[in-house]
Amino acid sequence: MGSRCTVDTAESLETLMSRYQQADESAAAALVERVTPLLRRYFLLQASNRPHADDLLQDTWMRLHRARHTYRPEEPVLPWIFAIARYASLDHYRKVIRREARERQVEVLPEPAGQVGGGEALDIDTMLTALPEAQREVILMLKISGMSIEEVARATSSSPGSVKQKAHRAYQKLREILTAKENRS
Amino acid sequence: MTPEEIGRRLEDAAQLAFPEGGDGDRAAAERAEAAILGDLRPVSPMAPDWLHALILVLWLVAAAVDSASFLGMDGLRALGNGQAALIFVALLSAGWLGAVACARLMRPAAGRNLGPTAWVLACSLVAVVFAILFHGYDTAHFVQDGIPCLRAGLFIAAPTGLVIGLLLRRGLVLNWGAAGLAAGTVAGLAGLGMLELHCPNQKAVHVLVWHVAVVAVSGGLGFAFGRLSGELQ
Repeated sequence: MGSRCTVDTAESLETLMSRYQQADESAAAALVERVTPLLRRYFLLQASNRPHADDLLQDTWMRLHRARHTYRPEEPVLPWIFAIARYASLDHYRKVIRREARERQVEVLPEPAGQVGGGEALDIDTMLTALPEAQREVILMLKISGMSIEEVARATSSSPGSVKQKAHRAYQKLREILTAKENRS
Repeated sequence: MTPEEIGRRLEDAAQLAFPEGGDGDRAAAERAEAAILGDLRPVSPMAPDWLHALILVLWLVAAAVDSASFLGMDGLRALGNGQAALIFVALLSAGWLGAVACARLMRPAAGRNLGPTAWVLACSLVAVVFAILFHGYDTAHFVQDGIPCLRAGLFIAAPTGLVIGLLLRRGLVLNWGAAGLAAGTVAGLAGLGMLELHCPNQKAVHVLVWHVAVVAVSGGLGFAFGRLSGELQ
């Protein structure tokens, strides 16, 4: 069973993950505390996932826990975590689509997606929903989760060139939106 | 407006809408801790990708050689040394790429998805090698001779693919379609390897269609089977 050692607050996520693999309780707890806000934000910022963000987060942690042996200690940990979170989100989306199809068959209207916050929440939604799914995902990982191009490429199983291209297109689109908004005001 | 400025605006908007470190984050972290700390046991990290790839290539070779030994090595005897060397180097190269694709797909964030590349490259590489080495385009008995080869190749590929699938389950496969495609490619190459060792028919039209079809069909079936098992999980 788990052992409890002390955790240095400056310890890297990679070290915490390695100690988590060795069943160190304090490292596991520290990892959860440091990664949960990043993951929760990742789910909350996707309008389609927002109403289920906490369930998705819990599901992601259970998947991470079951698959912790698949992390290799010399590799960056954030891409590994976000790759799993990304698929948890995708699986959830597929389930919602199936459920909505069933609901339409019995002529019951699906519940509208949750809206959070006031004007500012709509602002971030306006920016992100203007982007196609693939670009939105790249921008979220790069700018909100603070990952590098190489890390995002690993998390999305693509090449750094493809990530750069998606980011470039997303910046173009966001620039248009922000400039238009500035011109209006 | 620079990308840095756009990024800053996004971060500010995200922070305003969903501030980091709030009660929601703390409650979510507590729930996650409670769920995982109760089941904390030490685990060993998975073996490196090259080791998994090596195991898969050895399995491919064993499946091809064992089945051809049972059926007879007539195909190998009909080949010249240069022809045999070129064919088996191509098969092993394609097999290595397919095996690396499988090994990568067993771990999240292990690198670019090579499944589709491995399938396309395996089919085209063996097709090019066969087109260079063989030149008979006589279509007499084309279907009668071809169907047994396709059937025998797939008969060897099926159990090989199932064993690869069991190995894949030791990791965490996120993209089952791509993993099935890569596993089907490696398994199809085992079937093709058996055919090259066993089948003495050296007509270009026969090997280009029926032998290459083993890899193509096996990859396609692997993809379909992978997608289905991914959906069922």
